[in-house]
Amino acid sequence: MTAWRMLLRDWRGGELGVLLAALVVAVAIVSGISAFTSRLQSSLEQESHRFLAADSAVSSSRELPEEWIQEAQSSGLQTAELLLFPSMVFADDETMVLASVKAASDTYPLRGELVFSREAFGELERGSEAPAAGTVWLDSRLFPLLSVDVGDTVTVGDASLRVAAALRSEPDQASGFLGYGPRLLMNMSDIPATNVVQPGSRVEYRQLFAGKPSLLQPFVEALEPRLVSGQRLLDIDNSQRGIGSALDRAESFLLLAGSLGVVLAGVAIALAARRFSERHYDYVAILKSLGAESGRINRLYGASLLMLGTFATLLGGALGWALQALFFSLFGDALPVEPGPAGPRPYIVGAATAVVCLLAFAWPPLGRLSSASPLKVLRRDLPNAVRRSALDNGLGLVAVLGLMLWYSGDVELTLAVLAGLTASVALAAGAAFLLLRGGRLAGMRAGSIWRLGMASLQRNGGANTLQVVIFSLAIMLLLILVLVRTSLLEEWQMQLPEGTPNHFLLNIAPEDVNAVREMLADETVLSEPLYPMIRGRVVAINGDELGRGDDAGEGPRERESNLTWSTALPPGNILVDGDWWAPDSREALVSVEEGMAESLQVGVGDRLRYLVGAQPLDVTVASIRRVDWESMQPNFFMVFPPAVLQDLPATFMTSFYLPPGDKRFLNGFIRSYPTVTVIEMDVVIAQVRAIVTQVSAAIELVLGVILVAGALVLIAGVQSSVDTRMHEGAVLRALGAGRGLILGGVVIEFAALGLFAGLLATVSAEIAVYVLQTRTLDMSYSVHPEIWMLGPVTAILMIGMLGVWNCRRVVSSPPALVLREL
Amino acid sequence: MIKTENLRKRVPLAEGELEILKGIDIEIKAQESVAIIGASGSGKSTLLGLLAGLDVASEGDVWIDGASLAALDEDDRARLRAEKVGFVFQSFQLLPSLTALENVMLPLELHGRDQPDNAARSFLQRVGLEERVDHYPSQLSGGEQQRVAIARAFAAEPAILFADEPTGNLDTATGAHVIDLLFEINREQGTTLVLVTHEQRLADRCERRLRLHGGALVGDESGSARHEPSSGAPHLRGV
Repeated sequence: MTAWRMLLRDWRGGELGVLLAALVVAVAIVSGISAFTSRLQSSLEQESHRFLAADSAVSSSRELPEEWIQEAQSSGLQTAELLLFPSMVFADDETMVLASVKAASDTYPLRGELVFSREAFGELERGSEAPAAGTVWLDSRLFPLLSVDVGDTVTVGDASLRVAAALRSEPDQASGFLGYGPRLLMNMSDIPATNVVQPGSRVEYRQLFAGKPSLLQPFVEALEPRLVSGQRLLDIDNSQRGIGSALDRAESFLLLAGSLGVVLAGVAIALAARRFSERHYDYVAILKSLGAESGRINRLYGASLLMLGTFATLLGGALGWALQALFFSLFGDALPVEPGPAGPRPYIVGAATAVVCLLAFAWPPLGRLSSASPLKVLRRDLPNAVRRSALDNGLGLVAVLGLMLWYSGDVELTLAVLAGLTASVALAAGAAFLLLRGGRLAGMRAGSIWRLGMASLQRNGGANTLQVVIFSLAIMLLLILVLVRTSLLEEWQMQLPEGTPNHFLLNIAPEDVNAVREMLADETVLSEPLYPMIRGRVVAINGDELGRGDDAGEGPRERESNLTWSTALPPGNILVDGDWWAPDSREALVSVEEGMAESLQVGVGDRLRYLVGAQPLDVTVASIRRVDWESMQPNFFMVFPPAVLQDLPATFMTSFYLPPGDKRFLNGFIRSYPTVTVIEMDVVIAQVRAIVTQVSAAIELVLGVILVAGALVLIAGVQSSVDTRMHEGAVLRALGAGRGLILGGVVIEFAALGLFAGLLATVSAEIAVYVLQTRTLDMSYSVHPEIWMLGPVTAILMIGMLGVWNCRRVVSSPPALVLREL
Repeated sequence: MIKTENLRKRVPLAEGELEILKGIDIEIKAQESVAIIGASGSGKSTLLGLLAGLDVASEGDVWIDGASLAALDEDDRARLRAEKVGFVFQSFQLLPSLTALENVMLPLELHGRDQPDNAARSFLQRVGLEERVDHYPSQLSGGEQQRVAIARAFAAEPAILFADEPTGNLDTATGAHVIDLLFEINREQGTTLVLVTHEQRLADRCERRLRLHGGALVGDESGSARHEPSSGAPHLRGV
């Protein structure tokens, strides 16, 4: 008898359907998520490269070696060069504005597009070439400020350049100099004529590289060790803190979700295989009584499994492809760029998953079939071959571990998830047993429906413990995903809430402070307090002078930073060490930002000497603060009691929120206070927001898929016990029990299972989320009271309904029919 | 054909060991029909399981055609069963996911016979079920299921047929019909028949009756077995 024929026959018998479905679902979920995330990741990566206008970039405040450009070109990479500096721009009528100048070589941008218009606020056009030599593109806002039009000339340094277009958006506007004043984009070849770039000027040199990863990566890797002090390799992380960390977390989350999908699939397969094999013990006993040897049985089931796996891989792969295609067709419009190709990897991952699942989850019970005793044909009550549960579970655990490691490539994430799973299983197994006992005791005193349900729960104590463990596992995974997703999204939104300051004002003279404050108040813009700002330099620690600038040598160097004073701890800052001073303190104290303290290697009690201008200032470190640099609030490395700095020359700064439609306010402001520097962050914030929105959408989608997987596990779990319950129900009905009694018993039984599973799942989910958020996702943790209701209630409803749905035939068909089929 | 020597079976219980068979010595000749009778719990089915090599004796041995079962492992015993042994069970033991035809084909396929479905079809015809070949066990009555089981048992043309309470789950009339069929085909094929029953009527049709009591052989009577059909079952020429 060939395995193929057995499969066909079994298929007709309907028993194989469950196993095949579980396998198909597993492969579909894994390959679907894998394809989805890899396409999403490649699209997000493209998006992030857009922010550099390149795949990789090097930046420095000094000129970069020209040979790097040549080396990159000979490695087959595209290159471009940038020069960024602030400069006064003059119009013919001697009007002048401080602009943030960007000079670009012709090939700029390598990634992304320049958006421009032929008039100041005209129709948008897109291009990927820098302005031609002799021309400039001006930020729309510069047109009224300079009173110029397209075609007029402006002067940058010694060069007169023709205004060719209005620059509306550039791919890398969020990075680097962040736009000290409105942008002027010019061609690199005009720089010598301007004579503005002198040794010692505040400029940023940048070299941009783009190309295939296979070419780029070796180039960047070779470049990295050659970087000297002051030269920086730019990637998404350091060019875009907010976006970088959002992407990292999104990636971690998607990987986590994918891994949990695998765990769920594995559980579903193991359940289905166990049920399949249990139903096949009689089959094998008969085959053996008819003379089949164990080798033959193994070959038979092995070949069946192989065919099943092949079929499931094909079907699941197709389904997975369809799944991600559906996602992208439904939500592709929301993505900023075309989703990238997924390549064959997702389907390889899917096939490998099928193989591993079959070997680790399905084969152990099936392989043991060959040890079924043929005596079972004479004595049906003979127990099935000993279940080597511990061994099976161990093998399953190893398989899950291996798969998760392979998918995520992240040891810590894998271990965190696994710790949660293990804790959950151990907790559930122990607690389920106790709960089931307690349930029986309670049921004994209750009415007959309750007694029926609770007795049934306890009678199958072992099987029910297993079920509670499986249910709680599935629910726990879902809760983890919901919790992590919620806090991820909340944190992102909290990071940049509506009304987040989107403009910074620097260099406000002390005599202008009141006027500026009034002007902001008059325009009813939301602004932060005005902070004094003093440039100062740490020159000695505990009496030891520090090294300077690029001097070689170990240890901390002199650092220049912004100093401010404050009576109270600035909002949003967290004191990590030491105490805050009394509001009227006249002591010579300082509070240092955590990272700064680390790089200076100072702690509370150390003495610092600052140089402000030429004036020395000796203070003692009173506290160390943690600052959220992504908050868009004015943040300072060094805070002093007001009395300490009061006599030093200070300028003031603040940040404020300007709604998108009110940009004109800036024009008036700049005219009134030409010396004040305006930093526009609104574009950066908008970009971060857009990415967060897209990533959130992606996460919701992946969560949806995992929910389906979780529901399948629940269904498989309920189904695995349906046979016995159907049988009992049919017997009870035959004995004259009413439909209400039986249905009530089933409801109570499954609802109780759901309650226990939900409680256990909630506890384990809290533990796992704690580990995940504090260790892996690098987020803060708080208890989630909302899931303490949600978990158990959802579990009761879901499992109760699934149980009743699956057992509905007990009450809907004649008992004789049910008994006969079982 | 079948020989046992000091055949014992013990099972461990919480309060010690229980000896189900207490040293059985029997010899069954080829083509003989033997009934093992006795009350419930006398060890009938255990003896049958040991004789057929489905179970392993605690002590003593069984020889089938001179081959010692104790010397064989489970797989060797399976091969022996495939070659020489057929079964009919009280609870029929048809595979529920296979049709009547496929159930009968099963031993033929295990034997590697050519065209198992033709042979299976003719056996089903022999037991009068040619109209029900494509039915599943759940669509057949008990008597019909047992007839399929008989067709399956004889399809591989075994030298020995073991039957465990073949009429235990059937009403009297159906049971009688099934018994007729069993003996008819047995006679046609010259099979050695060993059956377990507590039905005197069935035991009486065997050439020899072994009576068990409390795990010991307490009677071995040969007697005038009645070979004539007890009911008007159709006498079809098979195979």
